[in-house]
Formats: sequence, structure tokens, C-alpha cells
Amino acid sequence: MPTTIRGAKTFVDEVAAEPGGDKINECIQCGVCSGSCTTVEWWQYPPRQIIAMIRAGKRKEVLSSPSVFNCVTCYLCTVRCPRGINPTKLMHAVSAIAEREGYHPRTPTKRLFESLRNSMRRGRVWEFGMALRFYLSTNIFTGLSNLPVAWDLISRGLIPLLPPRKVKGSREVDAIMKKIQAMQKTGGQS
Amino acid sequence: MDRKIGVYICHCGSNIAGTVDVGKVVEFARTLDSVVVAREYKFMCSDPGQSLIKQDIKELGLNRVVVASCSPHMHEATFRRAVQEAGLNPYLYEMANIREHAAWVTVDHDAATEKAKALVSAAVKRVYYQEPLEAREVPVNPATLIVGGGIAGIQAALEIAESGNMVYLVEREASIGGHMAQLDKTFPTLDCSACILTPKMTQAGSHPNIKLMTYSEIAEVSGFVGNFKVKIRKKARSVDLSKCTGCGVCQTKCPTKVNNIFDANLGKRKAIYTPFPQAVPNKPAIDREHCLWFTQGKCRVCEKFCEAKAIDYEQKDEIVEVEVGSVILATGYRVFDPTPVYQYGYGRLDNVITSMELERMVSSSGPTGGQILLKNTKEPHSIAIVHCVGSRDINFHEYCSRVCCMYSLKFSHLLREHLPKAEIYEFYIDIRSAGKGFEEFYNRVLKEGTIFYRGRPGEITDVAENKDEEGKLIVKFENSLIGERERLPVDMVILSCGLEAQTDALEVARKFTISCGSAGFFTERHPKLDPIATMTDGVFIVGCCQGPKDIPDTVAQASAAAARVLAMISKGKVATEATTAVIDEEKCSGCRICNNLCPYTAISFIEDKHVSRINEALCKGCGACVAACPSAAIKQKHFTSEQIMAEIEGALV
Repeated sequence: MPTTIRGAKTFVDEVAAEPGGDKINECIQCGVCSGSCTTVEWWQYPPRQIIAMIRAGKRKEVLSSPSVFNCVTCYLCTVRCPRGINPTKLMHAVSAIAEREGYHPRTPTKRLFESLRNSMRRGRVWEFGMALRFYLSTNIFTGLSNLPVAWDLISRGLIPLLPPRKVKGSREVDAIMKKIQAMQKTGGQS
Repeated sequence: MDRKIGVYICHCGSNIAGTVDVGKVVEFARTLDSVVVAREYKFMCSDPGQSLIKQDIKELGLNRVVVASCSPHMHEATFRRAVQEAGLNPYLYEMANIREHAAWVTVDHDAATEKAKALVSAAVKRVYYQEPLEAREVPVNPATLIVGGGIAGIQAALEIAESGNMVYLVEREASIGGHMAQLDKTFPTLDCSACILTPKMTQAGSHPNIKLMTYSEIAEVSGFVGNFKVKIRKKARSVDLSKCTGCGVCQTKCPTKVNNIFDANLGKRKAIYTPFPQAVPNKPAIDREHCLWFTQGKCRVCEKFCEAKAIDYEQKDEIVEVEVGSVILATGYRVFDPTPVYQYGYGRLDNVITSMELERMVSSSGPTGGQILLKNTKEPHSIAIVHCVGSRDINFHEYCSRVCCMYSLKFSHLLREHLPKAEIYEFYIDIRSAGKGFEEFYNRVLKEGTIFYRGRPGEITDVAENKDEEGKLIVKFENSLIGERERLPVDMVILSCGLEAQTDALEVARKFTISCGSAGFFTERHPKLDPIATMTDGVFIVGCCQGPKDIPDTVAQASAAAARVLAMISKGKVATEATTAVIDEEKCSGCRICNNLCPYTAISFIEDKHVSRINEALCKGCGACVAACPSAAIKQKHFTSEQIMAEIEGALV
């Protein structure tokens, strides 16, 4: 049954007030963002649809969906957007609101970031540890299917199996990573 | 004589009254020196508004009038006429622009009101010193210059030539015809482009009143409305048109092959070439950049085979000077080059082609003889057409190019005709089919089975992810109507490229002292009410040089411009500026600085008196000499020092 739209404008205004959300009213729904998105297969609603749903006032549906948490900030959508909207920032704005509302979906992207964070405690990335952590926390079978590639890299010494030496100032690097994690909750604002 | 000034303040509906407190401005105006009456009205430019002024002039004996309303571009002429009808000299009227200069530029009511007061006060102080002036008339040269030999230029030329007046039609390519000659069929009626264009081309080529100047460009323009002097550079064609019979032997014998620009670089042509078989004039030109004789100093084969002895390697650029009364610019457009849209792979992926390339492919006189072929010379089974390439995109052109939706639909139809079994997909954001018969054509294409996907593709790639995609181009897009990201493998992708301004549009604009908008298209005098005239009297713009448009609109504009030109010719004279400069011979020291400065060569030197003198018939009142004169001997009528000082004083209330 058709529903009566209530509060559509308030949700748009809420997103527009969030840092990075200001250009939401300029979207022409062309879909180039979704067509360019590198992680779109994990999104429940592609980025264009997220914008459409915000305009339709679907607050609960948007915020409870893990979609925007899948953004890897590759900026392909931003480069191609014909209206200069910066969908990347817009999605971050939505995820910041969602985090504040208590939604913490564990999307592959978030897990990738967590794995990266955990494998950087020595101040530089330990790729093998990162991949291991990522596949263990998401899908071990994908990891296994990538073994031939991994072996090629390992046998050429491109991915050392042992963790790297601690670098000077590893504590500071760790602090930076912590700060980034904190900033995610506020949509990129420190 | 006592000055009696009337001040009239316009509300312009809510345009001015919405921001400026008109009542306060009226109160203020009443306090100014010599102001006899100050009134306000909803629309001063309307009939009752004008009558108000006329009545006051008669009843109160006003001898100066100030109207505070919009820009002089809008209504200066209107109010000058009104005061003239009431028996006052039109130059005893002054306009204060409180709309564009006050009401529209701020939302601060108090600031707007204050500025409106300052502008009114400036105008009142200025008008006090204004003097009656008489406008003069000069004869109009009945010849017309048309720049650009596309459909717009041809149409305008024929209309004017038919009336018995002389037309110079200047085209920079070797043949007239323009982009329309490249098209196969035209939407929505599917008229054959060549069939409707070539008769007009031939007519233009043979008309006794049209002097065709192909392979030529505008070098220099001087003069003013009614009396332009234009220098045209006839580029060295290396072929003597008076001797050449157009037999075409030279083109068959020439050993040098170069990309054929007319065929969108799909086919080859020779270094000596006529752009296309129906060219007018159907005589070749030598492309000196590629000709072996000009690049390496050998060959001269064309000369050996030319029976008419028409080949002339020694030919040089030649400057021809013509005098015309008015100018029509019909310089057209350029097709957007999609190479910078990297994600669509043009130039990088085979079988991603532009709309113009397809246009030449479907043309039966094109490089493939009307066959749609992939790079491997096979026919495609599936074709994707991508709309809005280069248009509606702030990274390239923000505007909508207007014609792409319709020509893309036309492609769908033509491809269906050529390849009945092919799958055809259109990727669109919005279908813009606003025009007579356009929506009906859209319906027809829908019925024919073209599949429409709403979504601007993110990327076109040749990286296959599965067997079905191997050897194909994959369009990555979101079907935005169902919200799903999809991959569509196709054999061929057509990029519907937008229209953009000519690269040298700004240069042309400077030559004719007109202006270009931000997108590079020429700016019209008024976007609604005067779309073909420019701010320079006697210079008109028609067709795509003014903005993207389709053929019917272009033709309509061309005819409209022709009517405007013919109106000027039949009137036979134009009013010139009364605001000319005069030299006070008592003060002139005869230094002659002004003589060379004058862009209209209006100043001459009187030897025996040792002073300079201005020919008022030539003076346009630009003021260059006035500012330059070291002895302040030159006075500009209507812009005297005392008028300007009074205006400044008034503005500083």
C-alpha cells in the first residue's frame, strides 16, 4: 500500500548539515557513482539509491543498512560525478550519522581496516598478517582461492611471512591510526 | 534657465520593491535640489507609467527627467522615446539602475535602499548639466557579410540574396555545407540530410548575388553598423578556381593519403582534395601540411596531370577588403572530443566510437558505404549508445547539448534498419525530446524494441569476468530504475558527444567586438526578446555559435537574422550616436596624439590651422581621444567633465 511521506525534508536537511553532505540536493540521479563503485557488490543499496532514499525520507532504512560502511574511499565516484557532489564524503556523512545512532555494522571494508590497523602495530604494514586476519574474519574460502597468487608473491619475497622490524616512532604511527578510527565516527572531523 | 527635474521610481513588480524601500527613496528624491516632483509606480515602463511622465512634463513644465528602474540596456530607449513624445529632448533624460545595481545584488533591505538613494542622487545631479543633443543618420551599405557556410549561413545568404542584395559568404573549409553535410538522416522526420542540403548549397554557389569565398577567414574588422570594413584572408588554395574544371584527375593521381576529417577520420583522402563529392565549389584544394611538394619538395604529380593548368604552387594568402552594412555570424560548433572522458575508453578501446563516426558509417556515401562495421570488419550484434558524453557534466560542459538525445534515438532507428537482428541499448539520464514530433519519434523507437537503461555508465572496459564477456566491451552501470549494478557485454559502444563552441570563438568575438558566455558561445543581446542580435549593432548571431540547437531552430534563426538585415537595408539609414566628441580648436595644441588613437579614423589634422578636427559622421563616441588629450581640448557630448563630476558628487551623498 502506498505510504504517506513524512519527514523527508528533515532527513535531507540532517544529511545536508553533516560535513560532506551539503551537496545532496544537487544530485541528478544519473547513477555514475554506482556504476563506478569498486565495492558495490557488498552494498545493499548502491550509492545513488542511498541518495534517493535519503530524499525519500527513509531514515531508518538508510541508517540501518550496512551499505555506506562499505565505501573504501577510492574516490572514483567523485572523479566522475557530473555534478561535483563528492559522493564519497556524502557516504561518510551518512555513516557518521549511523555510527552516532548506534549502528556498527561489521562490513568487509571495516574488517579490512581493522586488519590493517592490527597489522600496523610495529609501525609498518605486515601484509601477510593483514591478509590472514582479513580472510579469517570474512571468508576463509576466498582466502584459500587466492593462495596461488599469494604463493607467487611469497616465493618472490614480496610478502614476508614474518612481521617486519619495529620502526622508529611506531608508537606515533599507532596513535595516528587510533585517531583515524576515532575520526570515522564523526565523518572525518577531528 | 531654471532646472525642473522629475524623478520617477519604478517598483518593477517586486523586483525592485521587494528589496528597496521605494517610499523612502521617493521621500529622499523630493529633498534633492531642483526636483519638482518625485513619484513611484508599479511598472514605469508600462503605458500608464509613461503617461505619468508625459503628463508631468506638460503640466509641471519639467525640463529634466530621471527614471530609477532597470538597466539602460532594457529601457533607456523606451523612456527616451517617452520624453521625446512629450516634447523634451531625449538626452535630457537620465536613468538610474536600481534593479541590477541595487535590488538584485543584495538581500539587505537597508543597504539596497541606501544605494538606490545614492544612484538616484547621482542621476539627479548629472541630469542637471545634461544638454539637448541631436542624433544623426548615416546610410546603410546594402551588402552583407556572412561568416560560416553551414546550413545557418547558407539559409541566411539565400534569403538576403533573393531580395536582390549582395552577400559575401565566407567559409574557412574548402567547401560550404558544414556539419549538416556530414549527417546521414535528420531526426525526427528522417529526411536525408544531403538531399535537403545540397540543393541549397548549389543555389548558394551559383546565385548571382552571393559572392562565395571558401577557404577564407576573417582577418580584420573595422567600422560600425551600416558601414563595416572587413578584411578577408583568402588562404592559398594552390588551385586556380577560375581555371579548374573540377574533373578530379589530380585527386586520383595524388600519391599522399591522409585521414579524411570529413569522414570523422574513418577513411582516407588525398593531399589534394575536395572534402566530399557534393562539395560547392566542387574544386579541390591542396592540403599544404601533407602535400609532398610542400613538405619534401618533390612530386608535383597533380600539376603534370592537370589539363586545365590550374595547379598553382606559388599561390599566397591574399587579403580581400569588402564593405558591408551588417554581419551575420554563423560559425557553428565543434563536436566534443571524448578522449578526456578516460573511463569510456575512446581512443584506447577498439569499437568505442563517436556519434559523428557512426553518422559517417551509416551514410551511404561514407567510408564504409553505409555498412556498420567493427574494427575487424564484422557486423556488430549488440550496440550500446551512451548519452550525455561531455554534456551535463561540470567536468566538461555543464549545459545540455539539446540534440544528443534525439540523434541517439535516430541512431537506434537507423541501426535497426541496417542491422535488423542487432540488440540496441541506450544509456540515458533523462530523455529530452522536446520538439515537434520528437516524443512521437521516441515512441516509435521504443516500439522497435530498443532497450533503454536509465543510468550513466561508470565505465567501459574490455576486461572480461566470465565467458560471455570475452572479446566484448563491457558497460558497467547501475540500472537506476531497479537499483542494481550490472555489466552489459556489447560489440560496439557509441558515445553521443555533445556540442561545444568553436575553439577560436573568443578570437572571432573579439574581432567583431561581441562577447562570449562562459561556455564559449556568443552572447545574444537579450536571451528572450533578442536572441539573434548582439550588443554590437549590425552584428547578428545565428545557429550553434549562439548555443547548441537543432537544424530547424538554426534555419529559423538564420531567416530571422536575414529579416533583420533586410529591414535595415530597406530603411536605408541608421541613427548614429549623438554622443560624439568635439575638439575645441582654441585649446588644441596640434599635438596629434588623438589622430592615431581613434579606432574609427574619425580625426584628421588641419594643416593650415594646425589643429585636429573630428568628423562627427565617423565618431562613435568611444572617448579614447577625450581621455588622451593633454590640453583637455576634446569634449565628449553627454559625458562632459562637469556631468561626470556632478554624478560622482551625487553618488557620494
